[in-house]
Amino acid sequence: MSWNFEELQQQAEQESTSISDARALEEFRIKYLGKKGLVAEIYASLPQLSKEEKPAVGKGANDLRNTVSRIIEEKKTAIKQKEKQSSKRFLDVTMPGVALEAGHQHLITQTIEEICGLFERLGFVIQDGPEMETEFNNFSALNIPEDHPSRDGFDTFYLDAQDPTDKTKKLLLRSHTSPGQIRIMKNNKPPLAVIIPGRVYRPDAVDASHSFMFHQIEGLLVDKDVKFSDLKGLLTAFCQRFFGRDIKMRFRPHFFPFTEPSAEVDISWAKGKKDWLEIMGCGMVHPKVFEAAGYPKGKYTGLAFGLGVERIAMLKHGITDIRNFYENDKRFLEQF
Amino acid sequence: MKISLNWLKDYITFNTSLDDFVHKLTMAGIEVEAVHDCHGDKVVEVEVTPNRADCLNMIGIAREVSAVLNKVKKMPSIKKLSFPKTKCDVQIVENDKCPRYIGIVIEGVSVKKTPDTILKRIESLGLRSINNVVDITNFSLLENGQPLHAFDYDKLIGGKIVVRFAKKGEKIVTIDGVERELDPSILVIADEKRPVAIAGIMGGQDTEVTSATKNILLESACFDQVLIRRTSRKLALSSDSSYRFERGVDFDGVEYGSRRATDLILQTAGGKMTSYNNLVAKKPRKIQTTVNISLDEINSSLGAKLTTAKCKTILNKLDFKVSSTKGGMFKITPPSFRTDIKASVDIIEEVSRIIGYDNLPMTMPEIKATDITTDNRQVCRKRVAQTMVMQGVSEIITYSMINQVALEKSHQGNLKGIKISNPLTLDQEMMRPTMLPSLLSVVQFNLNKGQKNLRLFEIGKVYTGNKEKDVLAVVMTGDRDKDWRETMLKPLDFFDLKGCLEQVFLKLGNDSVLFEQDAQEYFEDGAAVIKVKSQSIGSIGEVHEDVLDNWGIKQQKVWFAQIDLDALYSGSAFEKRFQPISGYPAVVRDISLAVKNSVSFQQIKDIVYELGGKLLTNISLTEEYIGEKIPEGQRGLVFSLQYQSVERTLTENEVNVVHDRISQALTDRLDAVKR
Repeated sequence: MSWNFEELQQQAEQESTSISDARALEEFRIKYLGKKGLVAEIYASLPQLSKEEKPAVGKGANDLRNTVSRIIEEKKTAIKQKEKQSSKRFLDVTMPGVALEAGHQHLITQTIEEICGLFERLGFVIQDGPEMETEFNNFSALNIPEDHPSRDGFDTFYLDAQDPTDKTKKLLLRSHTSPGQIRIMKNNKPPLAVIIPGRVYRPDAVDASHSFMFHQIEGLLVDKDVKFSDLKGLLTAFCQRFFGRDIKMRFRPHFFPFTEPSAEVDISWAKGKKDWLEIMGCGMVHPKVFEAAGYPKGKYTGLAFGLGVERIAMLKHGITDIRNFYENDKRFLEQF
Repeated sequence: MKISLNWLKDYITFNTSLDDFVHKLTMAGIEVEAVHDCHGDKVVEVEVTPNRADCLNMIGIAREVSAVLNKVKKMPSIKKLSFPKTKCDVQIVENDKCPRYIGIVIEGVSVKKTPDTILKRIESLGLRSINNVVDITNFSLLENGQPLHAFDYDKLIGGKIVVRFAKKGEKIVTIDGVERELDPSILVIADEKRPVAIAGIMGGQDTEVTSATKNILLESACFDQVLIRRTSRKLALSSDSSYRFERGVDFDGVEYGSRRATDLILQTAGGKMTSYNNLVAKKPRKIQTTVNISLDEINSSLGAKLTTAKCKTILNKLDFKVSSTKGGMFKITPPSFRTDIKASVDIIEEVSRIIGYDNLPMTMPEIKATDITTDNRQVCRKRVAQTMVMQGVSEIITYSMINQVALEKSHQGNLKGIKISNPLTLDQEMMRPTMLPSLLSVVQFNLNKGQKNLRLFEIGKVYTGNKEKDVLAVVMTGDRDKDWRETMLKPLDFFDLKGCLEQVFLKLGNDSVLFEQDAQEYFEDGAAVIKVKSQSIGSIGEVHEDVLDNWGIKQQKVWFAQIDLDALYSGSAFEKRFQPISGYPAVVRDISLAVKNSVSFQQIKDIVYELGGKLLTNISLTEEYIGEKIPEGQRGLVFSLQYQSVERTLTENEVNVVHDRISQALTDRLDAVKR
């Protein structure tokens, strides 16, 4: 028997073009490479051939086998590719992703944490103070005289609850976080570097800029030689970190009974002179306050400051109505 | 308070630009709030702090300006007056409330139009002209701060002045034409029969100076500042006089004011002084009038390097007497009107504010490690809040005050909050004893705005007795997270809320929290009490339909929980210990039981852990089945038990022994049937 290998090669190539699925490919494989396939048949005929014919036929069979194997590999890949293509679903990558709904911390809490965090990194510790305070801590110890207007019912909420330290007096709702200073100093010796955040209350009728409940952050630093220049340095560092390095700042003399000298800190983002915004009160701890806290006369000096959280959050985020904070509209909460 | 720049220049000469003037005055502590143009004059509105009553007049401001700009001020010249020997009839009944009263009777005045020079001044500060006598009293007040009042002397019954408290039922028509009822807490100036002025606040119409007036009695006095403040608030009546008396009027200034006004009246209205009475009922308490301070003390407390000369100049300009003594010490005597100056810090403040805080040096304090650390409660609160936020729950902040109606609406009328003695409105009559009303009002608010899916929490306080405590309150309503791949949204339920709380317990390292079946009036059936070591720390459940109805919450179930955080913290392990992770495989076996409804999963858990010993590492519920395949009153529970050792691979046999023992105990003890 004789084979025209060139023709066989062409035939195989020709047949392969119509193969489009795995079954046809298998049939093709069996036809050429199967146990009873053409290549096997050619090899089987070899023993009967003459010495002269053998090498050429052997080579022709090998070549044919190689060609068919190559075709099969190529087809396999092509079919796989085709199958993968056809099984692939269309994916619209522009459809919305699905996520767990995120929770939001209230902007007031975020602001408190940001401010406390800044002072913590400077070495302050965060402490707590009660909202229900004694008249002593809220006023007397802070050098606020007995007949001072802020003690009136117009400026402070009084409670139907007995002061445990003075049975003749009622507790009140702290009107500022400053009584926290007294509590800290009464129980601890300097050096002290403390921040006290919390809710405070004043009988102000509610409008866009007033609320009978709001938040303050109190700061207190007491040591042997704290100076007025330290107050300026510390609060400048804070303001530049919190509001940015570009702001302008000024320390404007003011009056608080529990600090002296006292100042209000104004900042300005604008270049103009008239855009000053008051952001906090501060000063050097008044000797009368140290006296009330039971510290020996003249031994320590200190600085203190207090800021209104709502006001700062409003300034920073462009909120114009303080009531937004307490309505808790989901659409407000989710903005921050 | 308003000041006129033209008027100011009567006492001090300066040519600083307006901007610079405004800036410097503000930076010395007299804050300029606004500047207005007024017929070629500039009127500057300033805020004077309550300790600086001495600045509530033109001379006071001139004094500040002279210190700030380092200029000399000149006081108005007053003709030397010789007061008549005859005493007018003045009687002070309340010595404490009226320490000083000077009465001067001037007869034969001609009441007419005020001279332009004075008119211009008072009108620039917004006062309306009445007549020359009244205008002069106002001019003098604005100039030196001493309130004055002129009575028509002939209208004073008995020609007499009595300073006393009002009698019950007495009335007065004040010069603003309003009749006012008086009571015995109100100090009045009376004649023989009736009140003719409310002391320190406003005069009466009957005795006011009119064009018909011939003879006047000029009053210059000082009154108790607290009394004037309270009366002014009580009557809702304030005036230029009360504004100054409330803040304190200089005892010595009473005389100065009376002299200045008398001089001006005699000059412009004519007349002659016929009687005079300078009555001191009570001398002011002698306060410490000298302060000793060293330059060193000033500099070390400011962190500055000021010179003796600089400090001395500033203090002199403020009318403080300064004498240097040995060793760099200053002996300083403040003027009588500076009652706020008592100690060395007051001197330091004066010097520093006049120099300007912005002109003083700045340093960074050394902040040392302290004995106290950040409060544990702060740390915990933060951790709780973060855990809630992580789970998609948003934080809210609500008012701590509520009213009784809100409690009743929430079926919590039995709880007692702490009453506020002086509530602002009845909506805020008490400090809340519970968070439920606050959170429901937020749910209602949001539902009304169309926000139906809410998961909210607040970390706040509740108040009872005379205590306040930290609580966590959570509310959930609506559907779980949106997912467009699902055809149906799943409504939130009890287990969503419970799961949230369990995460908090886990984060706080508290593994001893239990939920027990419980009934509450504000919850539907199937609510629970939350316990730590058999102590109740909170509750959780579906808010009762009637409560929701009361809050106007319709067609939506609401889940609520409140937990006492202080109690939770105390059972928590903040410092977590490392638990070894097993390198050996875990064996998981399922158990499927039919149990009576009265049998709780907690009971199953207790038995499993009791018998599981060291090999049992976890139990997890995989299914609850209620339906046809199970008899009524029962439910099917499927749960997986995980066995694992940190030391070796467990054998089939040893797991079987434990698992069979558990399985047997569950069926025996709980009367359960294997499925």
